[in-house]
Amino acid sequence: MKELLKKGLIGIGTVLGLASCGGSDGRIGSSDPFCQQVLPAVEAFMTQASEAYPTPDEPRYGGTVVLGTIGDMPDGLNSAVSSNYSDAQHQQFVGLMTLINYDARGEARAYLAEDWEVAPDGRSITFQIRQDVRWHDGEQTDAYDVAFTYEAVTDPLTAFPNAAFWDHYVKGPDGVEVIDDFTIRIRLEPHADFMDPFRTLGILPEHLLGDVPHDQLKLHPYGTQCPVGNGPFVFAQHIPQDRWVFEANPAFPEALGGRPFLDRYVYRVIPEQTTLLTELLIEDIDVYIAPRPDQAQQIIDNQNLELLNFSGRSYVFVGWNARKPQLADSRVRRAITIGTNRAEIVEAILQGYGQVANTGVPPFHWAYDPESMPSLEYNPDRAKVLLDEAGWQDRDGDGVRESEDGTRLSLSIKYNTGNQQRQDIAEIMQQQLGAVGIEIQPQVVEWGTLLQQINTPELRDFDGVVMGWVVEFKLDDIDLFHSERIDQPYAWSGTENLEIDRLLEELSITADRSEAMVLWKEYQELLIEEQPYTYFYFPDRLEGINRRVKGVEVDARGEWLNIKDWYLDPASR
Amino acid sequence: MTRYIIRRLLSAIPLVLGIATIVFFAVNLAPGDPTLYFLSPGMTQDVIEQMRVNFGLDQPVHVRYLRWLGAMLTGDFGYSISHSRPVLEVLMDFLPNTLVLSACALFVAFLFGIIIGTIQAVRQYSVMDSSMSVVLLFFYSMPSFWLALMLILTLSLFARNVWDLPIWFPASGIVSVDYDFLTLSEKVRDRVMHLVLPTLSLALVLTAGIARYMRGSMLEVIRQDYIRTAKAKGLSEAVVVFKHALRNALIPVITLVGLYIPVLFSGTIFIETIFAWPGMGRTIYDAIFIRDYPLVMAGTFFFAIMVVVANLIADVLYAVIDPRIRYE
Repeated sequence: MKELLKKGLIGIGTVLGLASCGGSDGRIGSSDPFCQQVLPAVEAFMTQASEAYPTPDEPRYGGTVVLGTIGDMPDGLNSAVSSNYSDAQHQQFVGLMTLINYDARGEARAYLAEDWEVAPDGRSITFQIRQDVRWHDGEQTDAYDVAFTYEAVTDPLTAFPNAAFWDHYVKGPDGVEVIDDFTIRIRLEPHADFMDPFRTLGILPEHLLGDVPHDQLKLHPYGTQCPVGNGPFVFAQHIPQDRWVFEANPAFPEALGGRPFLDRYVYRVIPEQTTLLTELLIEDIDVYIAPRPDQAQQIIDNQNLELLNFSGRSYVFVGWNARKPQLADSRVRRAITIGTNRAEIVEAILQGYGQVANTGVPPFHWAYDPESMPSLEYNPDRAKVLLDEAGWQDRDGDGVRESEDGTRLSLSIKYNTGNQQRQDIAEIMQQQLGAVGIEIQPQVVEWGTLLQQINTPELRDFDGVVMGWVVEFKLDDIDLFHSERIDQPYAWSGTENLEIDRLLEELSITADRSEAMVLWKEYQELLIEEQPYTYFYFPDRLEGINRRVKGVEVDARGEWLNIKDWYLDPASR
Repeated sequence: MTRYIIRRLLSAIPLVLGIATIVFFAVNLAPGDPTLYFLSPGMTQDVIEQMRVNFGLDQPVHVRYLRWLGAMLTGDFGYSISHSRPVLEVLMDFLPNTLVLSACALFVAFLFGIIIGTIQAVRQYSVMDSSMSVVLLFFYSMPSFWLALMLILTLSLFARNVWDLPIWFPASGIVSVDYDFLTLSEKVRDRVMHLVLPTLSLALVLTAGIARYMRGSMLEVIRQDYIRTAKAKGLSEAVVVFKHALRNALIPVITLVGLYIPVLFSGTIFIETIFAWPGMGRTIYDAIFIRDYPLVMAGTFFFAIMVVVANLIADVLYAVIDPRIRYE
């Protein structure tokens, strides 16, 4: 037995030992041949850059910030194929550079493009690319990189997720012309917010990815195993499902603020939010991205921590399937909305961290103007009148309304497993709508199954569904409500309204904001009339942060927007 | 013995293949497919179709099955859709972490289970026996994810922020953020510290079960004639218990090794999530949600193999513990 024990101990010791041998110094990519080739070049670049650009002797420089969030970055810095929020943030602000970015008012300003010019007819944009930006392996970033990226993301073979960006752009090689090494022209049809794609699209290195067939980009090791960027931070390590490590890029252009203040920035993956909160409270992590509203008070109560919040880019709604006979009449959908006390639900679920939504135009957007809209306030009596008018009456005295032919006004509301907020919405609606004679059956469905049921055009197996939606600064509801897209995945409501079609089309090509403002108002009034969705709320994005991290700015542009200006209180290091 | 092991391993082949086949169809016939997770606005059906082609999902399910089977038999597990890299590489990243955690938990559970059970049997009906029974029952009836959260709350959060203890345990991860800059001894300490809470969460529940078995088995053994004889010879109690009784009492407990391995693996799904432990359980769980077929397949395949091997080890251990058992 003793021997057995001893053997057991040795066995465990060996496993532990072996496992701990995994780490080594320097950049850690995978054993993939591509990584084996590029990482030494990055190492050499870093050595050279640290000598050429010594860290300024100022107390703000130095230290490591650890950030925690629930999910890994599935496609990392591969901007051609990623659709994840953290991915996009790291492409825009951490590892890569975008041509432009937005200031706090949402106006475009120079970034990788030091200047740009829109042709008088609005049919082309000419970008001047900065000449002092190097890829983290030492190569210069130039117009060919931009051309390569543009061609890759507009090629259907790549399956670039946000294809709507390029609806009014000339796709493929015809759409882009390299004028000289640092000048590039891109062709388009004039349309609304046409600069927005260049705020989100991280430019990729042509010299590393130029030979990759576009349909292979998704599986390429570049994104998550050994990304070579040109942004303020250099990739150092990625342990899947555990962490990403980035280091300051000493050679980041002086004109853009030079190297970041932080030496290192670590992105940790902690899937359980209770654990995340604990890690923040015991100061193992400095930043907790997106705590739940019910965790906010604990962060506020801790004197070392601070709670930041801003109005995010998403909203939560119940989408109604107007293909169903019970929901075909817009009066029924309106009755549902005003028969639900949304203000109360929002307060209960979000504990004040969010705003009631009446349409899909979010608070950060310039067209947001809820005061000028017709009210959708809680009014169960009016809801009953609307239902009576639409021919739904309780004919057999069971408390649920029926139509003339005996169809019961009974609806299911589906939501995905494990989402408490959405479950609460469905359950409170069940109770409140029961009082006006509508029977609601909340139904929980596993996420993948739910997506299939609601997104498959031939299926659309739902009455109502609690969903979330994330918007870009360039707002565009065509996928949701235009009747021509009715056979596409996102036409959940099955809306067919020619007036809505016309407004959506006009909105997408109206570049002038004051003209567009009138159209937006008209469109939102129609939405309120039509009620394809019962809009619920725009949740605030919360962030718990240790007070030793200074200089953090957050708004709808994202949590990482000025990470290169974050610094640590020198006393805390 | 060798022949027995070989025979067992050979008979495991159809078993493992059968498991893999069932899992393949279960996963592939579940509603939805991976493209749904990459959907975003503006994406037309053509783009989705293109993605399906890129992922090789445009073929009917039986063709995919044959392809998968053929590839797997040549050691090619394909590409993970959610990790964008070869499945085998993904497994090699996560499997060692799960093995370390499971091995530690198993070791701790058996060590303490055997010790506690033995003490209880030797001191049957004493205050110690009853109080230990109460404590064990407390842990035995506790779901391990809840135990995990309580351990984090007490040994991590309260220990540091409320009670000001000199030592507290990290609440998540396998190593600290500054791990790469530590000396060797600090690295070892760092790893052990990170192992404590997840190991305890997994092990405490098992410990309780093992101790109960051990107590019962030990009670039976110490009533045997040969134990009375040993005592009558004038041997000290320690020698009697540890040399003569323990080995015999262990035989039924060894069966538990084989039984508990699957329990451990399913337990790791929750524990790995709560402690942000980058292991196999969590990876497969996520992969199922994203319908990352190749990864789910390979992961379950490896788990099946490990369970088969663990059972084999348990059977071989019988022979080690009890010389009367032979497999010739």
